[in-house]
Amino acid sequence: MRKLDVRGAKCPMPIVKAKKEIDQMQPGELLEVTATDPGSVPDFKGWALTSKTAVLKEQRTEKEGATEIYIHVLERK
Amino acid sequence: MSTATEIDVKELLAKIDSGRRPTLLDVRNDDEFGNWKIEGRAGFEIIHVPYFDFIEDEQAAIERVPAHEVVVVCAKGGSSEMVADILRGAGIPARNLIGGMIAYGEYLEPLKVPRPRDEEGDFEIWQFNRRGKGCLSYAILSEGDAIVVDPSRAIDVYASFLEQSGVRKVHVLDTHVHADHVSGSRSLAERLGADHTSMKGGESIRVGKILFQAIATPGHTPNSFCFLAAGRYLLSGDTLFTKSVGRPDLGGQVVEWSLDLFDTLKDRLGTLSDSTLVLPAHYSDMTEIDPNDVVAARLGQLRHDLPEFKVHDPNRFSEMMLQAVRTPPPEYARIIDVNLGNSTIDADLMVQWELGKNACAASAQH
Repeated sequence: MRKLDVRGAKCPMPIVKAKKEIDQMQPGELLEVTATDPGSVPDFKGWALTSKTAVLKEQRTEKEGATEIYIHVLERK
Repeated sequence: MSTATEIDVKELLAKIDSGRRPTLLDVRNDDEFGNWKIEGRAGFEIIHVPYFDFIEDEQAAIERVPAHEVVVVCAKGGSSEMVADILRGAGIPARNLIGGMIAYGEYLEPLKVPRPRDEEGDFEIWQFNRRGKGCLSYAILSEGDAIVVDPSRAIDVYASFLEQSGVRKVHVLDTHVHADHVSGSRSLAERLGADHTSMKGGESIRVGKILFQAIATPGHTPNSFCFLAAGRYLLSGDTLFTKSVGRPDLGGQVVEWSLDLFDTLKDRLGTLSDSTLVLPAHYSDMTEIDPNDVVAARLGQLRHDLPEFKVHDPNRFSEMMLQAVRTPPPEYARIIDVNLGNSTIDADLMVQWELGKNACAASAQH
């Protein structure tokens, strides 16, 4: 699985970077995006709804000390 | 400051209010757009295309935007800046709203409450309108003294206003512990080296030429107050609004609190004259702003118009309040805790907690 760390990046950068990565991937390949922006949760959902290239496979929240980390797993269509 | 590529909240709202009908392009996600959007005193066009649609398929998204001047809005101003850039590249004159919905939610406008020419006393009442949230706060000035009531956390606005007004002595206080927004009263008092005052029912203090009296008005909360200035201006907090009364359901004791509210409306405020001008801490929509640009109503008018004044049986009143129970403001328990001084929060979180309009009235359907 490819990994993309966008911790600290604010909207729109998490999706801008994820889209760049997805565009270079092969169909079926997975991408795990690690973000700290809470807005990334609904936004990745919204983007995946209409995206021709990305499918949202999983979203989860993890704690890293006091910081919440949002993990988005995408699959290249 | 606005430029060819950016516009600030003040200029945007002035544009909308004066009927110049700008086109707004809101690029937030569906939920954010559905829950809370920019409102104005005149109509304007608002289009919704999420910013991630521009990332997914730029050309298709551009085609959904009209080819004339647009103002692009997002939550914080980052995504809208990107979209405005893309649009300008496609020949559409687009400007980014600086600071996005957060700046809109914090924007404060001081407006002078008009007083009759023949009224006695040398004093001014200013209503600070926080339009994005529908929150109202006040500054009363008289002979170098001032009292600030229910300030929001954008304390710079009050501080510079008071400085420009040449005020020497300031009191700061709240009508009650707010549940929908973080109060600026403690930090403003600290900044100004002023008194963070609390008053008991029946107490009064002198502000320059005028008397400022506290009336205990339990109901919305057990420790809610209304303040009567110069015997004629009632800063009614969340007890009484121009189209409703303060919801008594936020403490989980809606029956008890609504009985308190019943007594408040009938007895505790019952001795005030019909000509008293009610100046509330909230409003729900733009139609409540009067032609003088302020939100205010005569007490007599409210006694005549509001169904809450027409119920004469306390149990019937509390049934009415029970029917009006609705979802509490988001994060209200944590906001209350901060406003009580029991906890502190960082600036980013504070902004998150406060998103959206107030929901403090007992009825939203007016």
